[in-house]
Amino acid sequence: MGKLIYTIIKASEEPRQLTRVLSGMHGISNAEFLEVSCEGITAVVCDIQKTGMVAGHASAMDYAGVIEKLSKDFTLLPVRFGSIMESDDDIRKMLSGNHLEIKKNLLKVEGKVEFGLKVFCDTEKLKSARNIEPGMKTKSATEAGALHNNSVYLDYVNKKLTEYRLEESVLSYVNSVIEEITDCFAGFEASGKFNKMVSPANIIDALFLIKKEMTAELISVVQDLQTRYSDLNFILTGPWPPYNFVDITIS
Amino acid sequence: MNENVIDRSRDITILEVLDRVLNKGVILTGDIVISVADIDLIYLGVKLMLSSVETMEKLKSGRH
Repeated sequence: MGKLIYTIIKASEEPRQLTRVLSGMHGISNAEFLEVSCEGITAVVCDIQKTGMVAGHASAMDYAGVIEKLSKDFTLLPVRFGSIMESDDDIRKMLSGNHLEIKKNLLKVEGKVEFGLKVFCDTEKLKSARNIEPGMKTKSATEAGALHNNSVYLDYVNKKLTEYRLEESVLSYVNSVIEEITDCFAGFEASGKFNKMVSPANIIDALFLIKKEMTAELISVVQDLQTRYSDLNFILTGPWPPYNFVDITIS
Repeated sequence: MNENVIDRSRDITILEVLDRVLNKGVILTGDIVISVADIDLIYLGVKLMLSSVETMEKLKSGRH
């Protein structure tokens, strides 16, 4: 028997509310939820037969569902799926030993929600719209009389140079879109993380942590961005519990 | 909420949820015992087990 940990909650202010919310929910294998508290923070756990845990999509989704439901009422830190400890005492020791770091992270995400913003585009269309001159029409190529225009070497260099110019041009465009998004989100006091060129189609994958009450405004800003960049497809997901803004590794 | 912008359609939601729940959040390291579908129990460190479903599939089929 072990304890599967779902989340760590700042529950000291509303302990009864947590008990009430948990009483209507069940964890993996229909197990009841338990609260393990220490110094104003509570781990929400359920008993689990170690041999009975099925690590599949369905159980991961159920696990995420519990965290999402609790995040509506409490400030919490999601714990990565599959985290099991032996006993309540071990969990208390873990909470106590990492108390400061946990509190720091709880403070960071208090009253905030995470949003994901993915920007997709037809990269080929974007490249063709960039009007990059194909081929290497440089002086050095012209002056290098020994090289024939149709040589394999020149073709190869031309191809690579054109590809490079295109990539550079697309990246510069992506950077300008990120700059625009950053400007638009400036009023949200949002923490943001950007990944560029995640795939040929997914040119931006961004994450934001914003105050819950700014949600409607954020949606409106993304709608404006979508209108302005009609060739791009903006997909906003959320609100999520703050998975990507928790920075704790506990040994 | 505008549904054109807020996309919680099934495919993207599953991917987003799994990415978060398997790779993000508070990370506890230690030992874990799991069983995957119809195969024997696997004893792994949490970090390994949670790296990805793909890793698990590799382990399941004996590829490393």
